Amino acid sequence: MAWQAVVAADKVTPGKPVIVEAGKKQIGILLHEGRHYAVLNFCPHAGAPVCEGEIENPVYAEGVGEEAGRREGAPVLRCPWHHWEFDLQTGKGLCVKQKIRTYPVEVRDGQVWIDV
Amino acid sequence: MNTTPSNNEASLPIIDCDIHQPELTREQWVAYLPEPYKSEVAHYGTRSIRSGIRTEDGGLRRDLLGEIDGLRLRDPEFYSRNLFDRYNIRYGILSGGAGPTAGIPDPDYTAAIAQAMNNYYLENWLPRDERFLLTIHITQADPALAVREIERLAGTPRVVAVSFHATANRIPFGNRYYWPIYEACEKHGLPLHIHPSTTATIANAAMTPAGQCPTYLESHVCMPQFYMAQVASFVFGGVFEKFPGLRVMLVEGGISWLPHLLWRMDAEFKGLRHQAPFLKRMPSEYVLEQVRLASQPVEEPQKPEHLLQIFEMMDAHNLLMYASDFPHWDFDEPAKLPRALKPETRRRILHDNACELLKLPAYQPQEPQAV
Repeated sequence: MAWQAVVAADKVTPGKPVIVEAGKKQIGILLHEGRHYAVLNFCPHAGAPVCEGEIENPVYAEGVGEEAGRREGAPVLRCPWHHWEFDLQTGKGLCVKQKIRTYPVEVRDGQVWIDV
Repeated sequence: MNTTPSNNEASLPIIDCDIHQPELTREQWVAYLPEPYKSEVAHYGTRSIRSGIRTEDGGLRRDLLGEIDGLRLRDPEFYSRNLFDRYNIRYGILSGGAGPTAGIPDPDYTAAIAQAMNNYYLENWLPRDERFLLTIHITQADPALAVREIERLAGTPRVVAVSFHATANRIPFGNRYYWPIYEACEKHGLPLHIHPSTTATIANAAMTPAGQCPTYLESHVCMPQFYMAQVASFVFGGVFEKFPGLRVMLVEGGISWLPHLLWRMDAEFKGLRHQAPFLKRMPSEYVLEQVRLASQPVEEPQKPEHLLQIFEMMDAHNLLMYASDFPHWDFDEPAKLPRALKPETRRRILHDNACELLKLPAYQPQEPQAV
């Protein structure tokens, strides 16, 4: 693992991921609610370009017919092909065992750095 | 009738999850119904819904045609000798018939009919052979009245389940309309015994999602579609999450569709979780824990090993329970189960799975079994 600058921070806007190359990997740099994320652009399910999916706060329900809403503070990335949900921070699937690969991200002097 | 036992499990105890005792005669209905229905039925007979489809041989085995009028099928002794004794049946569930209540929209009438049926069989069939068990009928047109009947009979010896008509409801079983019934069943440890209503009865717009079938052949083939829809409704309506103690028996709806449904529910849920966010487990996990299937009619693929593969896919070792459907035309002897089953799996299907589900006494060879 090594830190490298991949893109100017002002090039990444909400809803428009920037795909960068780090070695042989294609990694998506995403911006959501002021925070940057770096995700391997490959869905473990069927190889979709997962970074092109929607980011959203996941729906939850306490029980059947009980309190429900969208859970804030733990956004998910929904794969554009089959809509699987992955926690954007941890990469864990919400109801699947598979994970998306995520990387540590920092913004330094206007540049997005990722630890690949 | 041939009196030679034709199954090769003479030493294994067997529980039969689906037997059909005959419907009451008009005189019996009148004796057991309260007014105003007593006089109604005395004058007009019971209400029914028909679709114009002719059920094969009235639903009976050809060698038993005419035996209702000939009175043999009206005598519980006939079942004792020709089913229980012949096949070493330890217990058999009397499923009754759905015709008197299925799809009939009057809640008070159907509640009275269900109560009359239950009382008649409790008083006239169960005492005749201690091997008879009973699934009680309820109205599905009024959950409060249904719960009242469940509460009345819960705890009655040898009342083991609550009948639900699989094919005559306008509201899918996952709907919260039914919650009071499920709550009562869970509370009393009574599984739902889900069985087709009379195939010629239509309370829905049609017998299949594609439309109305013109023949019993076509509608009977498509029967599993109801069960698939109801299981999906149970799961995605959150019934199994809300009532973790509820158990469901799917009777006479086929078997081999289950793996497909489990796979499809899980696959779709992975992408559409937000439409059933109250589920805490994968759909298939609920089914494998809370659903049981009765075996009749056992499918007959050209390669018998394919059925064993299906059995493995659906965990038949734990989910499947033998049923005969006696005296109907497509009934299965116990020997109908695949010959290559492992002995332990065969025993579980023939006896243990039902014994555990219905909380019956463990089998003790050579000892009388009182419930």
